[in-house]
Amino acid sequence: MRKIFAAIVLATLAIGLAGAPASADDNGGAAEHRRLFREGAQLWPVYCNTCHNARPGAEKAPYEWDLIIMHMRTLGNLPAGDVRALVEYLKAR
Amino acid sequence: MLCDAQRGPLDLVGTNVALRQMVPNVSTLIGGIMPARRIFSISLFAFGVAALSLVGLARAADSDGGDAAAMKEIRSEMRQLREERKRDREVIRSLEVKVQQLETKDSRVEATTQQLQNTDQKLKETTLELQQTNAQVKTLQTKVEAPIASSEFGDAVSRYLGTHSFTVAGAAGGNFIYDNQSGALDGLHHTSQNSFFFDWEPMFLYRPTDWIMFEGVISTAFGSTGTGADLSTADFQIFLNDYMTVVAGLFDQPFGDWYETQSPMWVNRFVTAPLPFGAESVVPGGEIGVQLRGGMQFGALGQDFDYTVWGGNGPNFSSNVLGAAVSSPSAVANGQTKGKSIGARFRIYPLPVDSEMGRLELGASTYNGEWANGNWYNSWGVDFNYFVGNLQARGEWMESYRQMPNGLGADNRQGWYLQAGYFLSGLNVPGLPDKLNGYLHRFEPLVRYSGVNQHGVSTDDIAGATGVGQGGFQVGLVPDFGINGSPATYAPHAREVALALDYWITPSIVWQNEFDIELPRAGGLFVSPETGLATPAGSIPNDHAFLSQFTIGF
Repeated sequence: MRKIFAAIVLATLAIGLAGAPASADDNGGAAEHRRLFREGAQLWPVYCNTCHNARPGAEKAPYEWDLIIMHMRTLGNLPAGDVRALVEYLKAR
Repeated sequence: MLCDAQRGPLDLVGTNVALRQMVPNVSTLIGGIMPARRIFSISLFAFGVAALSLVGLARAADSDGGDAAAMKEIRSEMRQLREERKRDREVIRSLEVKVQQLETKDSRVEATTQQLQNTDQKLKETTLELQQTNAQVKTLQTKVEAPIASSEFGDAVSRYLGTHSFTVAGAAGGNFIYDNQSGALDGLHHTSQNSFFFDWEPMFLYRPTDWIMFEGVISTAFGSTGTGADLSTADFQIFLNDYMTVVAGLFDQPFGDWYETQSPMWVNRFVTAPLPFGAESVVPGGEIGVQLRGGMQFGALGQDFDYTVWGGNGPNFSSNVLGAAVSSPSAVANGQTKGKSIGARFRIYPLPVDSEMGRLELGASTYNGEWANGNWYNSWGVDFNYFVGNLQARGEWMESYRQMPNGLGADNRQGWYLQAGYFLSGLNVPGLPDKLNGYLHRFEPLVRYSGVNQHGVSTDDIAGATGVGQGGFQVGLVPDFGINGSPATYAPHAREVALALDYWITPSIVWQNEFDIELPRAGGLFVSPETGLATPAGSIPNDHAFLSQFTIGF
């Protein structure tokens, strides 16, 4: 059992270390913001409603979404790119 | 002709003048004394003059006759001329009138043309203004729609607030439980009927950087034994990269979906938890340790895969007897824990977002560890969640193996639940006023079937769950950990059908009403940890419970 667990940990470490550096505030140009916004608008009703009712972005201040989206990224294991799109959308509403 | 007619008399005058010039002072000559010859000469001369005068007169008479004809002709011509002139004048006048009319018309045309030019100019100006306005509107729209504006605003606020940010989320709920069963199981306490409760579960989020966060949840409540508090979760979350996050601390068990994502009051569609996660948990609700977790997209947008692996202090049980409750994290640190636990969960979301087929989640979990100095505990389970339109269904199945000390038989358990709900937002009742249809759209009816099978139940656990016996800290877990007041939920073979009707005021404010139908099956044991006495549970009476809860998620 421990060997299996060690193998799983090593595998996930290998996958993780091969990834890009984490950044919740990866700034691109205006076009990138628009792309993220559109993608976030597409994902918001699907991803959020999977676990709970999707809450409008206007409910929270933009800075609060930075925290809440990190909480949701952890709980939902959301892909980082999708998280950036979601927070872009939520902050803009 | 006119000149010729005037020349005649002039010629006669000229002749007389010439004669007078040729005969100066004639009267003077006649009145004096003159010779005959001279008189003759004079007479002759006079005669000649007379003759010449007569000839001149005759010629003058002839000339007057021609002039008169000419004059007549002239007059006639003049009359014609006058008539022609008159006609010409009339023509001219008529032409002048026409010219004036034309001039009038022309001036009108000019005025109209001017007006048209003015209008055209105004149109051009208006068009230009419209173009400018449109450009301004587009600019404003771009500014309004552009997420960058909000981001910039957010950045400005973030700069104002500082780099370390903090917020409080969580939920609060007041509830009422009514269970009309007067007696509990034989010899066991039962206090959760006809009572009000209140739960407050603030979640604190602190974010010092964009890759580190602290999260803590405190469960507080006024329950069966008064107020109480419990530290549900407290952990650091470190985002190493796009695919890996480290969670270290006290956390909800990442087994299945319920503990992590469905247990918050405003998220759970029911007031109570499904039986396998409630009064008789098959898998412990929390762990203290370290997780590695992350998710990634493997196909189109929405096709995701995620993993969670973790290790912790390991499982613990309220006692060594059959059916003892798997402990909550708060009681982990005692002598029963020797080995550490390991767990893993994998989930896949096969449907792309663009397919509009909804979102399907398929997951598998396992949690394993040693307890009581070398006795194994193993658990595994599968789960699904499907959400499309107004319909959502989810379910989980799990099984655990608990190696018992002292050569006792294994304490195996199974648990499951299946639930479905449908938002009435798409339902319009004909003839019903729009306002009432609007209220109707906020309702979500739900149904859930859940059950647990285990060999026995510890009598101390029943008392502890109601705050009477050991484990009084569980006061904060009423009723969101499945305690609905019914003693039948502690039957070894518990079964429950829960019907719910939720009224959603906003996406995170809900009034929930739940009616539970307890249908326990016969079998199993009630075991006392103190005496070790095992009493066959036999047939547990069916029971009903009603719960109503108002919850705000914040």
